[in-house]
Amino acid sequence: MTNGNKIIEMEVLRYRPELDQEPFYQSYEVPFLDDWSVLQGLQYIKDDLDGTLSFRWSCRMAICGSCGMMINGVPGLGCQNFLRNYHPGKLRVAALEHFPIERDLVVVVDDFMNKLAQIKPYLIPKQVRGLDQGEYLQTPQQLEQYRQFSTCINCMLCYAACPQYGMNADFTGPGILALMHRYNADSRDDGRAQRMELGHADAGVWGCTAVGYCSEVCPKDVDPAHAINQNKMGSAIDYFLRFVKPRGASQ
Amino acid sequence: MEIFKTDVAIVGAGGAGLRAAIAAGEADPSLSVALISKVYPMRSHTVAAEGGAAGVVRDDDSLDYHFHDTVAGGDWLCDQNVVEYFVAHCASSLTQLEHWGCPWSRKPDGHVNVRAFGGMKVDRTWFAADRSGFHMLHTLFQTSIKYPSIRRFDEYFCTDLVVEDGRCQGVVAIEVATGRFTFIQAKTVILATGGAGRVYRENTNGGIVTGDGMSMAYRQGAPLRDMEFMQFHPTCMPGPGLLFTEACRGEGGFLLNKDGYRFLQDYGLGPAEEQPRNKFMELGPRDRLSQAIWHEERKGRTIDTPYGAAVNLDLRHLGRKKLHERLPLICELAEEYMGIDPAQECIPVRPGIHYTMGGICANLETETPLPGLYAAGECASNGIHGANRLGSNSLVDIIVFGKLAGEQAAEYARGAQNSDPTTLAKLAADAEQRALAVVNRTDGSEKHSVLRRDMGQSMESGCGIYRTADEMQSTCDKLAELRERYCNINVEDKSSVWNSDWLGALEVGYLLEVAEAVAHSALNRKESRGAHQRLDGFEQRDDANYLKHTLAYHTADGPPRIEYQDVVITRSQPGTRAYGAAGVVEDKQAPPEPVHD
Amino acid sequence: MSAQTDKRHPYLRPIRGWWKRDRYYIRYLAMEATSILIALYALILLFGLLRLGQGEAAFNGWLETLRSPPSVALHSLLLLVFAYHSYSWFKVMPKTLPAIYWRGAKLPQPVITRIGVSAAVIVNLLVIILFTGLQS
Repeated sequence: MTNGNKIIEMEVLRYRPELDQEPFYQSYEVPFLDDWSVLQGLQYIKDDLDGTLSFRWSCRMAICGSCGMMINGVPGLGCQNFLRNYHPGKLRVAALEHFPIERDLVVVVDDFMNKLAQIKPYLIPKQVRGLDQGEYLQTPQQLEQYRQFSTCINCMLCYAACPQYGMNADFTGPGILALMHRYNADSRDDGRAQRMELGHADAGVWGCTAVGYCSEVCPKDVDPAHAINQNKMGSAIDYFLRFVKPRGASQ
Repeated sequence: MEIFKTDVAIVGAGGAGLRAAIAAGEADPSLSVALISKVYPMRSHTVAAEGGAAGVVRDDDSLDYHFHDTVAGGDWLCDQNVVEYFVAHCASSLTQLEHWGCPWSRKPDGHVNVRAFGGMKVDRTWFAADRSGFHMLHTLFQTSIKYPSIRRFDEYFCTDLVVEDGRCQGVVAIEVATGRFTFIQAKTVILATGGAGRVYRENTNGGIVTGDGMSMAYRQGAPLRDMEFMQFHPTCMPGPGLLFTEACRGEGGFLLNKDGYRFLQDYGLGPAEEQPRNKFMELGPRDRLSQAIWHEERKGRTIDTPYGAAVNLDLRHLGRKKLHERLPLICELAEEYMGIDPAQECIPVRPGIHYTMGGICANLETETPLPGLYAAGECASNGIHGANRLGSNSLVDIIVFGKLAGEQAAEYARGAQNSDPTTLAKLAADAEQRALAVVNRTDGSEKHSVLRRDMGQSMESGCGIYRTADEMQSTCDKLAELRERYCNINVEDKSSVWNSDWLGALEVGYLLEVAEAVAHSALNRKESRGAHQRLDGFEQRDDANYLKHTLAYHTADGPPRIEYQDVVITRSQPGTRAYGAAGVVEDKQAPPEPVHD
Repeated sequence: MSAQTDKRHPYLRPIRGWWKRDRYYIRYLAMEATSILIALYALILLFGLLRLGQGEAAFNGWLETLRSPPSVALHSLLLLVFAYHSYSWFKVMPKTLPAIYWRGAKLPQPVITRIGVSAAVIVNLLVIILFTGLQS
């Protein structure tokens, strides 16, 4: 099957640590079909033009979170953005902003992975329940309280969008704070006080200045800005009541 | 090279691998567990599974029904002792996940909800909207963080198992970021590396589903079992092959041909009714539906798309509210990738490769024939799925047997000792040289991307929904040619840091090995059963000669050696797979015997 | 290829000039910058208070200055800035509140914003009517 006669010029930010002192843009002419995603454009480059181009990808359907990148300067998933929307014209693709570049479009995500572990991202149940007792009861309304925040695919587009994360190495960041809220808001969970030790800090919710770009770019409508900022009220109350209610407003 | 010593090494951090790691961590916190994955765990392909996971909970359901649905769905190629264990442990495994926070969709009273799924007599599929695999994977990954004995090796690409004294004693891996090799010396290894759907051109699988563990076990003498049974999922997006979950049909979706007719009623799945009815019409098993679509195409009743023939998935009558509540991911897929609003228009769909029923031969205890090596999840063939897997049996398979593998491996590790470390290190060094030879070759002339495409095309023509001896032989010959050409590939990228060109070439090597196992197993099975259907004189099931598993053994420089192994039959003698109205008659005639836990 | 040394050399792109890189950031900073102008207005009012304390003549002098054409121009600008500042405040407000449920369904954030803006407009109108009423 021919690729059709529409061609788009893709400028991809390259960086090979063994060869390059700093990143540079390399241009490729990519013939494409109307339903091709940016990811498919990159795959064409790798398979047919330049095997040395490296990028992460897997599912192709915006659920694995691998293919986050800057597409014409805006954070987006390669598999969910389509070449037809940038044609005619040039398309610039670069590694996710605010992360160190390991190689080409691959960024170092150790910081994210470490911070993810720090917020205790697992259920700390209110009551212990044996398997023979069956499931914890949770109504659809209770599920709705946290469901949205549980759909984060860890694509880190929000980290590329967040200027606070870019400027402040300690900030936990939008996605992980949204996940923290997901557990705090789960009716089965009792770990809020433990998690808010981090949450109350500048590294936590107070590092956020409500820029809101994270929620704009999120491909899953997790709305991390909402998850973080609705916790500021509670955090402030906990601060003022800390001598009266040491374990926080959750008591 | 760096040597890291551990008690249990687990390759693959998807649903099965994570569950095994947690199980090993719980069985004995003093054991060290190395969890090795070529991608970060949340990228594992479990994440893309949509529909749900089966577990008997309703009062009008029984373990017996689940057992019979599974065995019949598998066209009696299932090992029934394993299926008995399986169905008895599904609900508790899913409850465990709920206790860990998995956001299963609920009924108004707060209990977990279940929905209908193809080939299942009673509703028993637990679901988390239509992102069940995503939620299960993230729950497991986040829970695994609680266990200090689990040490993760994220983005470590495994190339070989180390086997000495007849036992598996570790795995050699490339640290992707640096290109350096690490030998993870272990008392025992669990493979949970997933399927091999990427051997075909059109598939629902992610790029990482390349049969790595299957290839590693295969090369060390463990047979690959029942590889000819590759599942076509009937409703995939034409072109990219992305999955439209079976839950679309479970919620009441219709499949229509170009005349707007619910054609499945012509294929023994009728009569057609307005409301979805278990095991009728669109809720029939996947192999039957894919075959029906194939026949419709031959009759000229399908829709043409630039990517081949398709039928229409009609979800309009579900209404916008139900669509967005129960099938939100499907709506996103249709809207973003195809510009279709499912509440207004039908979605063209066609069959695509989705699941690998076969895999590394494993028994009920998840042991492979190689001592010290365990296998669980899609990479294993332990006999539950037989010749055709029922939807929602896989997501629960990975946690039932992932758990068992973790416990069994932990038990084995306690009593095991490694052989002489120098010998093991030498074997690891040999593995390193073999992998480096692929990238360091300078006089090669072949491109691995070309070999990959040729393989995918050939598998699609020769090992498709319907097969003939000529076409399968043609594929076998092509694969032998590709195997030769693989020895001559040139990897363009010679660097060390994040060299995905090199890793891609290694993956093509794994795929070619697995593809040969698939093609030769298919050619040699002279009957039609489940997902393996022939049009060349072997259109019927032949229980007298082929109520057996196919075993493909790796040979040094040629096609696999094919042997056979009896299927374990306990309570259910091979019968007819009856769906639709015929299925109701069948049920009335032969009441099932009870399962004893 | 010999791979026994670590050849990684991750590259950190400079954060300088981040605000220029994206239209969203420029809009955000413009929104935040309105606070500076609001602070300026607060100073004007504080000055008026100071003048009030210095006697009727001083206060009237301050009022005269406020009625001058340049001052009217400045105040018109400030009015627009305040309006934009208030609107943007209401846009962020739903993010700072837990989700609000009305008859079983979540209130969409734009609806909460509209309610806030409407309430602000109504209150402002009431204040204007009240004060023009008092003066006449």
